[in-house]
Amino acid sequence: MRRVIVVSLNGKAFQLEDDAHAALSAYLEAAERALAGNPDRSEIIADLEQAIADKSGRYLSSHKSVLARLELEQILTEMGPVDGATAAEPQADASTTGAAAATSPAGPAPRRLYQISEGAKISGVCMGLAAYFGLDVTLVRLLFVAAAFMTGGGAFIAYLVLMFVVPYAQTSEEHAAAHGLPFNARALVERAKQQAALFANSSEWRRSRAAWRASWRRGRDKHQAARGAAGTTPPPASPPPAAAAPSRPPYAAHIITGIVLAVLGLFLALFTFVWVIALVSLAATGAILGWILPLQVPFWIAVLALVLLYNLVAWPIKAVRHAVYRPGGGYHPTWVGAWDGVAVLALVLVLGWWAYHHLANVHDFLEPLLHGARATLSV
Amino acid sequence: MQIDQKFAPIRKGLLEFLVLRIISIRTVYVADLLKRLADTEFATQEGTLYPLLSRLRREGLVDYEWQESDAGPPRKYYRLTAPGKDQLGELETYWQQINATITGLGS
Repeated sequence: MRRVIVVSLNGKAFQLEDDAHAALSAYLEAAERALAGNPDRSEIIADLEQAIADKSGRYLSSHKSVLARLELEQILTEMGPVDGATAAEPQADASTTGAAAATSPAGPAPRRLYQISEGAKISGVCMGLAAYFGLDVTLVRLLFVAAAFMTGGGAFIAYLVLMFVVPYAQTSEEHAAAHGLPFNARALVERAKQQAALFANSSEWRRSRAAWRASWRRGRDKHQAARGAAGTTPPPASPPPAAAAPSRPPYAAHIITGIVLAVLGLFLALFTFVWVIALVSLAATGAILGWILPLQVPFWIAVLALVLLYNLVAWPIKAVRHAVYRPGGGYHPTWVGAWDGVAVLALVLVLGWWAYHHLANVHDFLEPLLHGARATLSV
Repeated sequence: MQIDQKFAPIRKGLLEFLVLRIISIRTVYVADLLKRLADTEFATQEGTLYPLLSRLRREGLVDYEWQESDAGPPRKYYRLTAPGKDQLGELETYWQQINATITGLGS
């Protein structure tokens, strides 16, 4: 005795033996997969079901009401595999199959943190973070503001650092990478590949990679020898995972550029900060940071010397920063100058504000100066 | 390699052209089309034809209407649209060009 399953093929009931049902299910599921993304999928499936129903007629009679597996397999052989490619638009054909091949077996590209300028409120850091963690951007912004209050401005400095370090997503690939794949897989793949990219040029990494390659080759040769002895073709040599590293440089270069820019920017900001204090202290007390001017040096000479000193130090740093901008690629030269100035000024203000509130020395030093400035202004 | 295998991609590519040609003579339903092609080099199956017809309809080259049949449920009868006729004309011209090229290169 065999179990019978009743199915509806395009609105008409048919009785199948259970293994015939399994064969039919497999065929229709394969059809669904082949037609994935096809706007007419359900209509084509209905047509196919109708065709199967029509063909079933010749196996059924008043004496026989159940389809057996072999009969159904004969029908499915006549139907032939569902060809998704003939249903695709000819010009889209290559790209869709290519995309499918690229995404399904190889796995999607790893997620990366990018700044996203479309819809950004300041620089795009929050947009990038929201894409990276799959959160709503408003939530990320609120978290950032809350964190800024709780850490006493630390989060804001973190924002500035990210603003310098994190590259902008510009190509569609980078935008895709900004949204990436689920978090866990991302974390692993990302960390491995980023480190591989960053340290690909360091000598230690090179040594370990050479050792790894040698061991890989030994393993491969042994494997091939074994396969050759067994009389089969050698396996296709799969590229070593380290080969993934050379394809990463754009992102790694962005990161390195960003770090250089951030370090130089921070240094410039610190220097500017100290310089401004020196200037203020000169104006307020007639001494530069407690160093009293020699009597014969007039006030204006001291100011001039300070301005010269500032330019002497700041100019090369600025030149380096501007030179670094271009190879990094992600910045537009025309607004770099203006933006750079604003960014440094912002850094100076933030650093000053932070130092005033958190460093006792700076606070003690600035307090009388600010007091004096307030007094001067009110007079 | 068998000769018919060498031309498999070409036959596949020509299927659309041939389907349009068959439909241009009179309205047909899928079983007619399959029967018409069955004895030729271009024999095909429902699994290929339904997706192809749905694409041709999406591109506006063919359209169908339901017609009652004596045996069983109503069937979709396909006919050529005006853009489909234009397209078929262009395909035929192009096909003649290809044939002329092939003939010219051999002699």
